[in-house]
Amino acid sequence: MDKAFIQRRRRDLVVAAFLAAIAAAVPLFVKDVYVQNIMVLTLMYAALSQSWNILSGYCGQISLGHALYFGLGAYTTAILFTKFGVLPWFGMLAGGLISALIAMALGYPCFRLGGHYFVIATIVIAEITLLLFQNWDWAGAALGIDIPVRRDSWLTFQFTRSKLPYFYFALALACVAWFVTWWLEDSKWGYWWRAVKDNPVAAESLGVDVFNSKMGAAAVSAFLVAIGGSFYAQFVSYIDPESVMGFQFSLLMALPAVLGGIGTLWGPMLGAVILIPLTELTRSYIGGSGRGVDLIVYGGLIIAISLARPQGLVSLFSRKPKPAAQPAREAVAS
Amino acid sequence: MTAETIIQSLASGLLMGLLYGLIAVGLALIFGLMDVVNFAHGEFLMIAMYATFFLFAFFALDPLLSAPLVAAALFIFGAVVYLLIVRFAVRAKANTGMVQIFSTFGLAVLMRGVAQYFFTPDYRSIPHSWLGGKTISIAGIYLPQPQLVGALIAIAAFAGLYFFIHRTDFGRALEATREDAGAVALVGIDKNKVFALGWGLGAALVGLAGAVMAIFFYVFPDVGASFATIAYVTVALGGFGSVFGAFAGGIVVGLVEAITTLILPPSLKTVGIYGVYLLVVFIRPRGLFGSI
Amino acid sequence: MTALLETRNITQRFSGLTANSDVSISVGRGEIVGLIGPNGAGKSTLFNLIAGAFKPSEGTILFDGEDVTALPAAERCQRGIGRTFQVVKSFESMTVIENVIVGSLVRSTNMRDARRKAHEVLAFCGLDARADVLASDLVPSEKRRLEVARALATEPKLLLLDEVLTGLTPVESQKGVELVRRVRDTGITVLMVEHVMEIVMPLVDRAIVLDLGKVLIEGKPTDVVRDPKVISAYLGDRHAVGA
Repeated sequence: MDKAFIQRRRRDLVVAAFLAAIAAAVPLFVKDVYVQNIMVLTLMYAALSQSWNILSGYCGQISLGHALYFGLGAYTTAILFTKFGVLPWFGMLAGGLISALIAMALGYPCFRLGGHYFVIATIVIAEITLLLFQNWDWAGAALGIDIPVRRDSWLTFQFTRSKLPYFYFALALACVAWFVTWWLEDSKWGYWWRAVKDNPVAAESLGVDVFNSKMGAAAVSAFLVAIGGSFYAQFVSYIDPESVMGFQFSLLMALPAVLGGIGTLWGPMLGAVILIPLTELTRSYIGGSGRGVDLIVYGGLIIAISLARPQGLVSLFSRKPKPAAQPAREAVAS
Repeated sequence: MTAETIIQSLASGLLMGLLYGLIAVGLALIFGLMDVVNFAHGEFLMIAMYATFFLFAFFALDPLLSAPLVAAALFIFGAVVYLLIVRFAVRAKANTGMVQIFSTFGLAVLMRGVAQYFFTPDYRSIPHSWLGGKTISIAGIYLPQPQLVGALIAIAAFAGLYFFIHRTDFGRALEATREDAGAVALVGIDKNKVFALGWGLGAALVGLAGAVMAIFFYVFPDVGASFATIAYVTVALGGFGSVFGAFAGGIVVGLVEAITTLILPPSLKTVGIYGVYLLVVFIRPRGLFGSI
Repeated sequence: MTALLETRNITQRFSGLTANSDVSISVGRGEIVGLIGPNGAGKSTLFNLIAGAFKPSEGTILFDGEDVTALPAAERCQRGIGRTFQVVKSFESMTVIENVIVGSLVRSTNMRDARRKAHEVLAFCGLDARADVLASDLVPSEKRRLEVARALATEPKLLLLDEVLTGLTPVESQKGVELVRRVRDTGITVLMVEHVMEIVMPLVDRAIVLDLGKVLIEGKPTDVVRDPKVISAYLGDRHAVGA
């Protein structure tokens, strides 16, 4: 039964593996450090957006404050490493867990809020945390934390000579975020999330635990975003509140999903692959005089996509023919 | 901390609060009218400030004189934004919530980019104006004149708005549309026209606020961002969509900000406002003055 | 044998307005019971109280011998109360089969089982040909059937139907009546709210008439329709509407 469905799920998996393999081979041919840098960022934002998509796309709780978890991941790793000498790998795990816990603690009051009140609460909470970190002397306040370079190794997750290790980690992270989404999509959680997004009252009448659905989505989403933040701290080796917790990160996590298709499996990936290189290239080619061009491109794209293709660009690839909106026969006859 | 400093900061907090109310009221008006949050509201403020600045720079027009011009220009801008973007966004079939948020959000990003591109990211200010930098002493309390006049303009604007909504045909059409857009269409009022005029009016009000703000605040492409967050908080406190809730919300925000500045370092002054927002919505999920 | 559902002295007030006053009804296992009455009689309120949309001001609700008065809607669904909505609430961005899977996940979190169960229910409701269509693309009568299918997928003991037959064409309505009969034949108890008596009377085993928030009368449909109190309640209603 339902062969088509199983085939589609399997096809997604095969396509993903194929794309990951191609991506893994790219650095063999592309040696340019600048381009490699863009690839790392693209993969990182793909992973972040994929994670954001779990809470905001699937479960419908639009967060514009996910920079909070990104920053928490970055700070946890950096603080544990510089102050206590804890290896980044443990810092990464700790950052993820702390973020997931905080996401649930915040979800407790926030998930009772409706629509716009919720969105604004997410913005406000991220802003408060940013301000607190800017004034927290022990954590470096506004100056931030410089992560001292020991030596290039996977153990300390530091690489000064080559970007490739970061590239492969970012690729792995993007794959994990995608796979988690793929896996959860056809699970109780996936269905619950989408039901909660579409109609919470109906969902409840069908036995869906609406509140815990949101909590689960928030925890998974925050955990993965924090891992991304940890990675970023290692990648740039210097963090300050504005550069890891600023509003622009919340935005940059949301945009690829919005562009590619919010609440879809492939949307965030597609969006990131288009958006991030585009931004980086406009920024560098138009150069200093053209500050703001990246924003113009972003803004124009977001408006165009949300008006012309609210389902996102991924709907252009949808191979499933749109089922004819033709009603069943007896209804036509009536 | 003496009683005088406390009274002093509460008084300036009150003035600032009235201005916050004026900044936010357009947002509340539009939300109440059609259930859409304009996420580009801060950027409306930003272009109003730039307009005031350039009118001063090129024509030596004092902000107080250019305020009506800026408001009129913003009126047209708001109506055009409705007709070109929002009108289509509210018609979306799929992902309605997301389309509404991100279409105006995209506009915000676009406007910020345009401002950076054409006006450069430099901070600008109006070096001398009739009111700029002057203070007035009332019963031993020193009040900055721009904020004082701004607050008076805000009160006048709210009074005008009250009169407008309750006494004019268009105001009544606005009220009727916000109550039941479907029924309004039946009695022959063109919904799109009302919405466009509503957007115009909302933008004109923030234009007025922008002209006043330009007297004493720096003008730069990102200036809207921080005021926008304060405006959302103000509107949310007032109960989304309530025009006079925004007035009350603005005063609350101004006072909270003043009190926070007394207690915490200046860099944390917005924490108080944000904290009050969270406190209020966690206790009353529909805002301080919001109905169910 | 105890009744499957029993309400004891239910009273519900909304800011001064009493929607239900001292309502005690019971529904036996395997019955089809119609809850009828003129507009504003308090049918929907009682229905929502039983489904768990909100808690009554006073009184208790017993389901399967247990007090469920304080349980939230999701919990009642797990206990075996399934419901539909008068204004359909489909998950619009999901396909028909996905809508139903949400329901079947209450009983089995194994996706393969949940999916199989959903297909069975769709076939039972005559929607299997539309399984992969988006719910937003269904016509109104299909959306009604999807509501029923979704509720059936939760394997309820008691199915609450809120005006599922109202506003349908005669053909559709006849199909609806057949569906309700087949549901009962599988052993599910049905409590249905309808405003229009003509549709439900041939279908139900027993009718409970509500008027002004109270139980006016209950009994066999043939007796109920002839009762002068019922006639005057409905006539009064019509009179009020005409005024």
